[in-house]
Amino acid sequence: MGLAKFLIKRLLQGVVVTWGVVTVVFFLRYLTPGDPTATLLPPDAGPEVRQRLRENLGLDQPLYVQYYDYITDLVVLDFGESMSSGREVAGLVASRLPATIELAVAATFVAVVLAIPLGVISARRRREPVDYGATLFSLIGISTPNFWLGVMLIIFVGVHVDVIPTTGRQMGLRTALFALSNGSASELGQWAAQLVLPAITLGTYFTALITRLTRSGMLEELGQSYVTACRAKGLPETLTLYKHVLRNTLIPIVTVLGLQLGTLIGGAVITETVFAWPGLGRFLITSINNRDWTSIQGTIIVIGVGFVLINIVVDSLYAYLDPRVTAE
Amino acid sequence: MAPKLEVEGLTTRFFTEEGQINAVEDVSFSVEEGEVFGIVGESGSGKSVTALSLIDLVERPGEIVDGAVWFRSPDLAARIEDDTPEAVDGDYVDLQSLSEGERRALRGTEFSTIFQDPMSSFNPSLTVGEQIAEAVEVQRRARANPRSVRSRTQGYGLAKFIGDSLLPTRDFVDDASHDRAVELLEMVGIPDPVERAAEYPHQFSGGMLQRAMIAQALAGEPSVLVADEPTTALDVTIQAQVLDLLAELQEDTGMTTVLITHNLGVIARMADRVGVMYAGEVVERGTLEDVFDEPAHPYTQGLLGSSPDLDGAADRLDPIPGNVPSLVDREMDDRCYFADRCPKAMGECLEKPPEFAVDGEHTAMCYLADHDYEEADALEEGYFDE
Amino acid sequence: MISERVKRSLSREFKGSRLAQLGVVLVLLLFLVATFAPFLALHDPTTTRIGTGGTEDLSELPPLGFSYTEQRVTPSGSETVEITARQTFPLGTNALGQDIYSRLLYGARVSLLVGLLGALLATAIGVPYGLVAGYFGDRIDDTLMRGADVMLAFPSLVLAIALVGVFRDSDVHTTTVPDPFVHAARSDIVPNVLIPRAAHVAEMPASFTFPVTVTLVVALVNWVWFARVARGEAMSVRAEEFIKAARSAGASDWRILRQHVLPNSLTPIIVLATIQVAAIILLESALSFLGFSGTDLTWGADISDGRSDQRSYWWIATMPGLAIVLAVIGVNLLGDWLRDALDPSIEGEGGV
Repeated sequence: MGLAKFLIKRLLQGVVVTWGVVTVVFFLRYLTPGDPTATLLPPDAGPEVRQRLRENLGLDQPLYVQYYDYITDLVVLDFGESMSSGREVAGLVASRLPATIELAVAATFVAVVLAIPLGVISARRRREPVDYGATLFSLIGISTPNFWLGVMLIIFVGVHVDVIPTTGRQMGLRTALFALSNGSASELGQWAAQLVLPAITLGTYFTALITRLTRSGMLEELGQSYVTACRAKGLPETLTLYKHVLRNTLIPIVTVLGLQLGTLIGGAVITETVFAWPGLGRFLITSINNRDWTSIQGTIIVIGVGFVLINIVVDSLYAYLDPRVTAE
Repeated sequence: MAPKLEVEGLTTRFFTEEGQINAVEDVSFSVEEGEVFGIVGESGSGKSVTALSLIDLVERPGEIVDGAVWFRSPDLAARIEDDTPEAVDGDYVDLQSLSEGERRALRGTEFSTIFQDPMSSFNPSLTVGEQIAEAVEVQRRARANPRSVRSRTQGYGLAKFIGDSLLPTRDFVDDASHDRAVELLEMVGIPDPVERAAEYPHQFSGGMLQRAMIAQALAGEPSVLVADEPTTALDVTIQAQVLDLLAELQEDTGMTTVLITHNLGVIARMADRVGVMYAGEVVERGTLEDVFDEPAHPYTQGLLGSSPDLDGAADRLDPIPGNVPSLVDREMDDRCYFADRCPKAMGECLEKPPEFAVDGEHTAMCYLADHDYEEADALEEGYFDE
Repeated sequence: MISERVKRSLSREFKGSRLAQLGVVLVLLLFLVATFAPFLALHDPTTTRIGTGGTEDLSELPPLGFSYTEQRVTPSGSETVEITARQTFPLGTNALGQDIYSRLLYGARVSLLVGLLGALLATAIGVPYGLVAGYFGDRIDDTLMRGADVMLAFPSLVLAIALVGVFRDSDVHTTTVPDPFVHAARSDIVPNVLIPRAAHVAEMPASFTFPVTVTLVVALVNWVWFARVARGEAMSVRAEEFIKAARSAGASDWRILRQHVLPNSLTPIIVLATIQVAAIILLESALSFLGFSGTDLTWGADISDGRSDQRSYWWIATMPGLAIVLAVIGVNLLGDWLRDALDPSIEGEGGV
């Protein structure tokens, strides 16, 4: 009961924040200096043409009418048409979403799988070589810009290892799985290979960050009296360590991860640029360069809403791990 | 009767950045089978570290540097005699010389502990029932396979943890242990034990949680119970209830109990014999009657004097003038550590007194236990002020 | 303002930690290099040497200790030329023949200035916002922090990119900042004997481009962290006895905020600001890598230059990246030192 109530509260907050995101994005466009029709028309277009376009786009309406229209369109997932290609923004964004999700999930997976054991080992073998190694790695990891790491991986690894492609995305997971169902596994291999460098690029900062958090969290939890109590009752050390200490360490890690997911999404934007990965981030950069406002707005709203949703998931995980959260 | 525990010259130090701290220094006492041995002292006298040293839970930067804790267990002695003869003396086993695995195997089964603060001694994010059931499970596995220390710990690692987290049905603790945990909760007087077992520590009151901790401590049917300030964190009325419960359970099970507290009322009510700790040392020990009725050490006299009503359970010690001395090694002289607060300090107190026998088993680390106070030798007032 | 206890704690942590010492050294180095770039640079960082107009082609020289061979077309067919490093270009040159070492020094200026000014501006926005929310509490707090939540719903780099996209067409996208050393060396205001290597300094660029939009944007996307920390501090300070005393003595809210709440919240804000400088340096480098900063004399832009397909010229992208890593490590270590010595509980979004 407590959990359900908690989730409903979180969802309502999510709706409010989403509304805020949409509003900010809507008004962002009106801060832009210059005439929005300038990019749509050839420079020599006459004033009548310009005026007609403005009327077509609804730009001659009062701002609140435009705002109302914008919101009502969004509710039915109508993001408008791209100012540069004329295609539906919703479709453009949707077609790029899988690439970004694959990349972000792969990077998170790499980070969690590597970082938590590394952090645990580092905390258990404090002030031993393993600990110093892990600390050094995490210091460098959080200080390295990921686009540079990506460039370095392309220059120093990609060129020498032929199986790992350095640019583009030959196929999506769906294609690979479809091939697998037809008995061909090599596509899945290719799909994984193309993800290797981008996932490392995007995941390194997170691996470093989670290692750091796990280490310091474990050290803090290990000092708690319940750990002594676990030992006193004869609980096997591994059980004490994982079932009790690590579980409690995960609570603050999950909180920080929720806050840091923004960095992951931002990182995805730039990683996609480095690896010519056809995801949302690259689409956003292209749209900005084209001054394609409808596409920019659509992409940012989708990213913002995605971020809100992820945070709700993170909060639920948090509530699952820490029973005190849902308690009144 | 042969003692259950013989502590000999136990010395525990902490090696911190501020320097070496002599928390427990050359402490000796024995505890008879089935009795309650009380250790009393002010905060910072080293009594809690003594408790942790008994159950081998001193953590870095602390270290037991010297001494032996002889534990009478004919079975264990017979079993390990061949492998580690240095740890065995007749029916006795020296806990300090045992292998790490053997020592751990004794925890929860032979030795159990009740800690001071129930709120922080339970993991906040697991149910109380689960945590008690773990203690039952440890005991159950040990009984099922008494020879193998490893069998209890085998196979629980990170992979298993992830498996358990993803599939809640696979677990370290089985259903029988959960049922036993509920029984234990009922035994310590917790109403609606089935419902309470499924609750988290923050949903319990302090007194109820301390009862739950007692249930957890009893899960392994231990032969020795170390209770470190079991009632300090509780309200006065609850204290009395918890003490009653402890006394009753101790009588029923006949467990040997080491009770550590700063509360003389608790000692008077529970203990058969008493050790008084000051600055990491046991300065006086003997039967309850010896120590309380005829205290030989001025410190014990001061403690008793500051506690007007020994029958009340909730007496706080009025402080004796002055402060508990620093236990930092380099700041300690080799003298009677109480001399600076002692109303009867003499010249010879600048040299450390040995342990004098007062009467039979009643001993005290004070020259006054050997000869009378001589005013002529008295240290002048303010001698220890800088 | 800095108490004895704080000083002791700082010096104890400093002495006990090699990493803290390394951090201070790196940050000092960053400051020195950024300030005295005209003195330390070997060449004008913007001079190109691509072999036009009869000058020697010095593009893509390798760093000291490296060499490579290349096919060159000559009138008599093609021949293999060995390209070796030159003493005067210790870290090599880029595709335009610009000296990478000198560019790194000038790049430090942009990174450091944006980092410091961005963090300062974010503090100036976030701290009053958070203090007001935390001090007044209730409805004001709810309203203000919901607004902050909306800011947090945008991943900072995404928001930064969008904002730069909005403002880059404006007139203030960049501004040129004159270099005082070069001006002094070129004019007679200060006798040239007082300026070491005056003739050399006079040949350096007279000004450098400072990315105004980027600085505003990094502050706009990062102020929320300051608001959160300031709010938390204000909430805890509000409950203190001396605040109640001040209030009952008739002090106005603004006076209490300025004289009591703010000074007591300073420590975690200083620590956060330090960590944020590192985050902002990373953010700035990402924006300039994407080509949004409006100046190409930055580390990020240089990495972007070096990632073209000519992979044998690895140093062009490697060197500025190493500079970023060293600078950010330095600031992070400084932040760790301050945090360990002053305040162990601070969160904040990291880098890119």
